[in-house]
Amino acid sequence: MRTTFPSSNQQFRLAKCVFRQVLTLLFFGLTSLGTQAQTLAVYTYDSFVSEWGPGPKLQELFAKRCACEVNFIAAEDGVSILNRLKIEGETTKADVIVGLDNGLMVEAENAGLFQPHTVDTSSLLSKLNWQSNTFVPFDYGYFAFVYNAERVADPADSLQSLLSSNKTLIYQDPRTSTPGQGLLMWMKAVYGKDAGKAWQAMANNTVTVTKGWWEAYSMFLEGAADYVLSYSTSPAYHLVVENKSQFRAAHFNHGHVMQIEIAGISKFSKQQALANKFLQFLISQEAQEVIPVTNWMLPVVDNVALPDAFNRLINPKTIGFTPEQIAEQRKTWIREWRQSATK
Amino acid sequence: MLIVDQLIVRRDRLSFQYHQQIQEGEIVAIQGVSGIGKSTLLEAIAGFAQITSGDIRWLGKSFVDLIPEQRPVSMLFQDNNLFEHLSIKQNLRFIDTEVAWSEVEKHALTLGVGEQLTKQPNALSGGQRQRVALLRTLLRPEPLILLDEPFSELDPATRATAASWSRQMAQQRNKTLMAVTHHNEDVEQLADRVIRLE
Amino acid sequence: MPNSVKPGSENGGKARPNKFMRLGQVLGWCSLAFMSGTTLLAFFGLLNFSGQGFDFGFLQDPYLWQIIEFTFIQAIFSAGLSLLFAWPVALALLHKRDSWHKRIFLSFCILCFVMPTLIVITGLVALLGHQGLVGRWMWEGWNLYGLTGILIAHVYLNFPFAVRCIYLQLQAIPASRWKLARQLKLSRWQRFRYLEWPSAQLVSWLATGFILVLCFNSFAVVLALGGGPQATTLEVAIYQALKYDFNIPEALILAWLQLILAGSLYLLVTTLGQLQWLGNLSQERKPLPSSGKFERLLYNLFYGIAWCVMVAPLIALLPKIFSQPLTENFWQAIVTPTMTSLVLAALATTIALGLAYLVLQPYRIARRLGTTTYIWIDGLASHALVIPAMVLSVGIFVFFIRKIDLDIYGMVFVCIINALVSVPFALSQLKGPLLNYDQSYRHLLSTLKLSRWQRFTVEWQFMKPAIRSATAFVAVLTLGDVAIYSIFGHQDFVTLPWLIYSYASTYRMTEAAMAAILLLIICSTVVAFLEYQRRPRSKKVC
Repeated sequence: MRTTFPSSNQQFRLAKCVFRQVLTLLFFGLTSLGTQAQTLAVYTYDSFVSEWGPGPKLQELFAKRCACEVNFIAAEDGVSILNRLKIEGETTKADVIVGLDNGLMVEAENAGLFQPHTVDTSSLLSKLNWQSNTFVPFDYGYFAFVYNAERVADPADSLQSLLSSNKTLIYQDPRTSTPGQGLLMWMKAVYGKDAGKAWQAMANNTVTVTKGWWEAYSMFLEGAADYVLSYSTSPAYHLVVENKSQFRAAHFNHGHVMQIEIAGISKFSKQQALANKFLQFLISQEAQEVIPVTNWMLPVVDNVALPDAFNRLINPKTIGFTPEQIAEQRKTWIREWRQSATK
Repeated sequence: MLIVDQLIVRRDRLSFQYHQQIQEGEIVAIQGVSGIGKSTLLEAIAGFAQITSGDIRWLGKSFVDLIPEQRPVSMLFQDNNLFEHLSIKQNLRFIDTEVAWSEVEKHALTLGVGEQLTKQPNALSGGQRQRVALLRTLLRPEPLILLDEPFSELDPATRATAASWSRQMAQQRNKTLMAVTHHNEDVEQLADRVIRLE
Repeated sequence: MPNSVKPGSENGGKARPNKFMRLGQVLGWCSLAFMSGTTLLAFFGLLNFSGQGFDFGFLQDPYLWQIIEFTFIQAIFSAGLSLLFAWPVALALLHKRDSWHKRIFLSFCILCFVMPTLIVITGLVALLGHQGLVGRWMWEGWNLYGLTGILIAHVYLNFPFAVRCIYLQLQAIPASRWKLARQLKLSRWQRFRYLEWPSAQLVSWLATGFILVLCFNSFAVVLALGGGPQATTLEVAIYQALKYDFNIPEALILAWLQLILAGSLYLLVTTLGQLQWLGNLSQERKPLPSSGKFERLLYNLFYGIAWCVMVAPLIALLPKIFSQPLTENFWQAIVTPTMTSLVLAALATTIALGLAYLVLQPYRIARRLGTTTYIWIDGLASHALVIPAMVLSVGIFVFFIRKIDLDIYGMVFVCIINALVSVPFALSQLKGPLLNYDQSYRHLLSTLKLSRWQRFTVEWQFMKPAIRSATAFVAVLTLGDVAIYSIFGHQDFVTLPWLIYSYASTYRMTEAAMAAILLLIICSTVVAFLEYQRRPRSKKVC
């Protein structure tokens, strides 16, 4: 729920400029929010706009296409973006929202904060089976358990074999993190009614449950557990950036749950044309080449030139639930987890 | 004239009654057995005690309703007379701007603490501290001086010096002085009159 | 001329406080009003936004009562253990001669207490996790995660604080009492019973109350080391309700519950202690009874163990720096966030200390007059301790988002809210010394009829060491903030802790670790600079 937000009033904008000057001095001058040309305000999450994230590159590429400026406004994560939109209502500054996911999709749609897009989605991968005309997917990945091949010789090939092994694992709290919610769906999709028992079994393998992804992942890298819940694409990072091949995602035969990251246009945006252009740009070859190697997810269109590392990733079957089912059941599932996942 | 008029002071469920008159410029010693309320009388005059009824007047004006800061009183307590975190010199600066520093130094020498001025209070002996505090109390501008066992930590010789110095200062600077003391030598050297509380 | 007497008042019931006090008092009440007003505004903002009022049905959920039970249990154990470990170490410190390492130890205590939890957790895992430096040598079945981990982390964070509080109080026991104790040939137990315990009992209770509430509200530690849903505190539930479900009525009910439970716990424990003599303030060499060989051995042992315990998790962090080469522009990238953090901390600290000092004006007067008003002032001033930062920030955010351009003023809010939540920490450092000062010198101050300026300078000089400590506390606390920044922050003004999260959330664990160590170094420097106890010339150290 972080900020940047428009002032329609011209006078106020002047005051804002003056104040910004002062602030800039105070905080050792590093901002410049020039607002002359057409500006597209994009709400997204923090790591998207970090200097090693996709934000800066995309900003540059898009500016070339449109003679406009993209102004990223970062919130902590996807959930925070949605909350902020709800709080701001019609006063929102956002034109485009980038970084919600399929888990939040229905809730976002029901909140009535988005407008339909006019993007041509025919180039999208068929396995995404994309229907929505409110949102456009821009990357995806599978939740997966990542292991260190130097420590785990024969990795599990299903949740069942993982739970019956004596290997340890770390996962994230479904109440506070996206991968945690992913696991919630995964367990439900694989075990159905018996999910409670499976959680109980998993408790014996569990070292700890963390608040967010990175706490879990860094503990895993420290060697605190054999497996960590992460993404099927995590190994690509280690291969591309660190040139390390021992980190791999376990391929489960029964399939994996998919996370699809989505973008949409604010209902209150007055720049529909530009906004649609940006969404179209997001699924262009050019942008799709940037996103995987900066956001470490998979491209949503075919024939994207990517480092070889991406070919070595697992390519699992997809299982899971529709966004509607997720929205409806999430609370019950969390309650079930709460009661069962205790030692 | 200082008039303590039918004063009733309460302290920890005990009640003390005082009725005294002291002439301007007079030096009195207050004596009495322990617990009779000697210190309480001084504290009542200085404004630190709970007064139930009665009045205190100085030169015809009542000051029983005034807060300590507004009373014409300078008092030496039994303890906590010096700020421990300030040097002796800084502590003595609180006398008054009208008194020249050279004069303060002169009196400090008379009292045998001239060497101690740059030190911190905790580097001084109890007796030295007491003399520094005495020095400050008497040099302050208020006309009424109250001393609560001012020489308790002094040896007989220093005691005599301090007592006669106090008397001399009080007379010179036209002070009215009340001192609580147990020693008859103090009374002889210092006081014009003894008030015995019973 | 009979007067009626106001109970407790010292000058015949017609106390006319001088102007100095009156101004201080007015400003004090103003800052109290400001602090409570902000909290009310936050609640108002949330209530107003949801338009639904409270959701009382939620109170019947058995899950809620499980959480509350767990919250209480872990908080009570954490606080109890912290105190239990703190006493022997404080006694050991008291009987050790002044030395550079003892002075570093005392400053280190502050650092531990306010160290960003992110660093502590990483350090503890690196030390005691399954593959940790020590963890791998632990017995079969050893598991850091669970109640064990929570207690270890809480004790690590809090017992140094208790040590410091107790030690500073013990140290103020005047020489005369030690002389008396030796004269009466009191046994070790009697010395504890009649000297040491009475002098530090108030501070022990205050520290316990403080620690209890901090653990009650613990969030990051519980989630990281709790090991599963069995370890859930109210704060976790609030976070979930507010952030993930955006269920404001539920979040509000939880927040009120936390406020009431933690608040009454705090008031209960802190009023158990009685203000006895606070000791005389001189720093003379104390004729401490010489301790026997065995006793001295024990003291050295406690002291040594405390050192090891406090240093170990930080040492365990060091190998992380060398695990991977850093990206080239790391040092460049880190400059601005570091500066931002420092400026932010400096501003927030100034505000927090100002507020705390002002609030203490009505407090000290209430203490002097012996009325019970002080309990309420204390409660109001410390209420920020029991308000979840998340509720406060989101409430304020919701209230102002349509009124003010938070894009511009966001950082101002980061600064102010950080200041507000750290006021209780500043108070904890300033309260004792100020009461001590009043108790010892209020008669002297009155009889000397000092001017306003003189009063101020004398008090300032007395309070300087305490103010320095308070500054160190608050500065480090605000340096580590992410909760408030995550709501109001602006990506153009990234702070150092936020940068750590950004690195970590994009696989850059080495950079994150390096930045964390840099943060730790900055925090240590701040504490060392402000707080390192100079060799007591003949000056007070406190």
